[in-house]
Amino acid sequence: MLMARVRKIMLADVPTLKKEAKIEDAAKLLSKNDVGCVVIVEGKKPIGIVTELDLIRKVISKGQGMKGPAAGIMTSSLVSMNPNMKLDEALKIIDTKRFRKYPVVENGELIGLVTKRDIVNAISENVRFHRNIQNVVLVLFVLFEFFVFVLYKYLYMYIPFGGGL
Amino acid sequence: MIKVSNMMTKDVVTISRNSSLKEAAMLMSSKSVSSLVVMEKNRQIAVVSENDIIQGTISKKTKISDVMSKDFIVISPSTRFSEISRSLNDKKIKRFPVVENEKLVGLITETDLIEATRDFTRFHQIVQEVILAIFGLATAFFLFYFSPVGASIFS
Repeated sequence: MLMARVRKIMLADVPTLKKEAKIEDAAKLLSKNDVGCVVIVEGKKPIGIVTELDLIRKVISKGQGMKGPAAGIMTSSLVSMNPNMKLDEALKIIDTKRFRKYPVVENGELIGLVTKRDIVNAISENVRFHRNIQNVVLVLFVLFEFFVFVLYKYLYMYIPFGGGL
Repeated sequence: MIKVSNMMTKDVVTISRNSSLKEAAMLMSSKSVSSLVVMEKNRQIAVVSENDIIQGTISKKTKISDVMSKDFIVISPSTRFSEISRSLNDKKIKRFPVVENEKLVGLITETDLIEATRDFTRFHQIVQEVILAIFGLATAFFLFYFSPVGASIFS
């Protein structure tokens, strides 16, 4: 199937924080945008991700203050994607992993973020588009076959050896 | 079509408007949900998301009633999937409490919609493959039937 690549659907403007940032900074950044996560970077390399869930589970529900380092609550087992990956390869990854956000990394540098929602929506539109094309092709094919089979009687006399009959 | 009753989360976590933000956060992490429904006298009056709680904590609020939001749409189990996804995309509403006979029976969030879309896509691909296979078989049969070999067998 003709497929778009991850680069086309990724979010290029990722909220990032340095490794030294505090939890408070992460919380402020999270509440300002609706991406739902902050990527923690060291230089340009992503080393972890702090989601709203991390903040709720590890800080607010325990009644801790927000002075600690953000790197302490991040999820560091990142699954990153390549911008040149096709969407069906990306779909295989999201079907096997349980994450919702995937940093897009090229040459060790963070260049974007792709969410499960974006991939699923893009694939769903792609499937719909392909279905429409395929149906048009099928209808044309049916018309063609009908034409050939119905007119066969009148055509076979022009076929060498009488069509074998 | 996908039914709302199949895709919704059935055990909705509810909270009262007088609870504290910490209680809400504890509920969210122990039940692993991303949104709570605020109930008052058996009626759903608001929803609270993870982001609401984070914003509330930053601005030093403590009660649910200070952070809860009214941007939700009550739906019934017979609501169509397309209507829900339209209000998700156009109105940016992400939470849909499901109410049947004036009783809260479920909640649909963005995650449920994504899962449903994923399953629907998979189903569509399978249906499309089956149509192609049937069509291919029919075409092969016709070609054989009208071929000289077929004609000598079938006549």
